[in-house]
This record gives sequence, structure tokens and C-alpha cells, in this order.
Amino acid sequence: MASRAITSDTHSVTRQSPATPLDDMASIVATYEQKIFRFHLISIRDRDVAQSLTQDTFVRAWAARDTFRGDCSMSTWLMRIALNLIRDHTRTDRFRFWKRVSETAVDVSDVASHVPHRDSSLESRLIASEQMALVWESVAQLSDRQRSVFLLRFVEDLELSEIASVTGLPISTVKTHLYRALAAIRARHNATHKDPL
Amino acid sequence: MTIHLSHEQLCDLILADLSLQPERDSWRELEAESDVVHEHLRACLICSAELRSLRDSLSHFRDASVSYARQEFAQSYAHRSSIAPPHTFLSQPLYWAAAAVVFVAALFPLSMHRHRPAPAVIGTTATSPSRQTTESDEALLADIDQKLSADVPSPMEPLADPTAGATSTTSTSDQRTN
Repeated sequence: MASRAITSDTHSVTRQSPATPLDDMASIVATYEQKIFRFHLISIRDRDVAQSLTQDTFVRAWAARDTFRGDCSMSTWLMRIALNLIRDHTRTDRFRFWKRVSETAVDVSDVASHVPHRDSSLESRLIASEQMALVWESVAQLSDRQRSVFLLRFVEDLELSEIASVTGLPISTVKTHLYRALAAIRARHNATHKDPL
Repeated sequence: MTIHLSHEQLCDLILADLSLQPERDSWRELEAESDVVHEHLRACLICSAELRSLRDSLSHFRDASVSYARQEFAQSYAHRSSIAPPHTFLSQPLYWAAAAVVFVAALFPLSMHRHRPAPAVIGTTATSPSRQTTESDEALLADIDQKLSADVPSPMEPLADPTAGATSTTSTSDQRTN
């Protein structure tokens, strides 16, 4: 019988037995599946592909469970696997990436309807939706690496050191990617706000 | 000419946010780390407005992405649960009771077929005649042995004993008659 290795949602994993924590795969999936699915969905922007890659992430984690030594958190380790799968996918579908029109492709209007409205006025709702759409479209124009780093920071809320661990990049390089990603968003942001004037 | 915040300074302010929630005050504390930047933000409406706008945009993007992904995940999970029963369903007593009833119902005709009396009757009828036959054979052999081992064959016994009674005389006269 596998012991409960996941102690909390803070992604800390403790070993209570000689067996690897990944032996209790059901708990791992229950804890991290939604997070992994979200990262795939926002990165790939396709529901079916996101579901498939999410399953592949856990299959790959199970196959490589012996290599998990607890040097990083379980979340970071799974994110690393997920990121590699996204890279493989975008590499094979490079020419169609972000341009493919499929039934399960996510449209910006689908996401815009989920913008929370702290203010009930119609004007503030429209502004919020526009701001969200601006970032959404800007992210689509980023390079693969910039986009991954950006999403890990601004959607998954990872610290720079965690992003460095997931991507295998130095922190300075992570920061550079974030600077460039924010520069693209900022440029689009300023252009949008200056056009009406 | 007014010097605004550099791109790196602006990015550092955004990246230093522990949370992208604009209503939280934590970013103000982090901004205080740099007096120059802090003072400039107070004085420059353009930079402070741009910073606020960027924070709002990133915050809306994150909130919408998280909310949308949560909804899609819930729909995906509901679809999967309609295909296969989840573990919680397997733990229901009603599920196991129904499974037990089906199992017993499937075994019932089989057990009825196995407990039919016909093979047992055949078995008993097959064993008792053979036993009787063995006993009669043994009795017959014993009788034959006894007759063979006798000094005088049974048909010759009246002749061997002349002092026998009337019965033996009658039998002799009968033989002559025949």
C-alpha cells in the first residue's frame, strides 16, 4: 500500500517510505491535473490537445518516476515534463501553431467572458475585456520560450527561481525573456491606448 | 525634458509583485525599495498610469485564463465521469449490492445444473448391481469349489449311501421309470 506522499497543495513532497512518492499516482493526478491542464490549455490553446498532453504528462511522469529524487518540488518536476511535451508538440506543428483553426481551438472571446468584473459598470467591463484580449493576442506573438516563461510567471505564479528550474535556464535568462515579453505587451498596450488619441 | 522609468525598472516593478491583484498593497512596499523609482512614480502620472494599466491587463489575463481553464477542466472531468464510474461510486454500498445480486443470479443456473439428482441415481444404480454380481459370483465359485472337492458328486450321493430313507428309494424308482 502506497503512503500519502503529498502533504499539502503547496507542492511539498515528503518521503515516508523507501518507495518513490510517485507510486501513489492517483493522488498526484488528483492534486496536479488541473494545474497541468491549465498550463497546456493556455500554452497550446486547444482543448483536445491540452487534454491529450495532460495525460501524456502523467504517463511520462509514471514512466520516469524512478528519476524523481526530490531535488525540486513535484509541481516543478511535472511542469518540466509538461513544458517538454509542449515543445515537442509545437516543434512538430510549428507551421500551424497558433494559426490552426479547429473546433477545439480556444478563441479570445471564450476567455474574455471569464474576466472578473469587480466594477459593475459597462465601461469598466469593456476596458477589462480589452485589456485581457490585448495580452492574449500579444502572448500569441511571442516566441515559444518567451511565451512559456511568461505563462509560468503571470499565470502559474512561479517565482523566477522556479521558472529557471522548470526551463533549465539561468535566472538572468529567464528575466531577459520576461523583459522581452513585457516589452511586446507594453508596445501593443501603448499603441492601443495612443490610437484613439 | 522629463525622464521616465526605463523598461527594466518598469518590469522590475511588475515582476516584484507577489500577486498581480491590483487591490493588494504589497507592491507598494516593494516599490519602496527603490526611493528613486518610488519618488518618480509619485511625481510622474504617465509612468504611474502605465504601470497601473499594465498591472490591470496582466491581472485580467491571469484571472480570465485561470477561470476559463477551470471551467474547461470541469467539463472535461464531467465528460470522463460519464464514461467510467469514479472511485466514489465504487465505494457506494448500493453498487456492491447490485453487483452481488447480478453475480448470484449468474451463478444460480449453474449451481442448479450441478445439483441435478440424475447423475447420482445413475451412480448408485451402477454401483449396486456390480456389488451384487460380485457377491453372487463369489458364492457360485464357492459352491463349485465345494462340489468339486466333494468325494461323491451330488447326483451319486444316493448310491453312495444305501441306508438312505424312502426319499432316496423313490428317486431311484423314478430314475428307472424315466
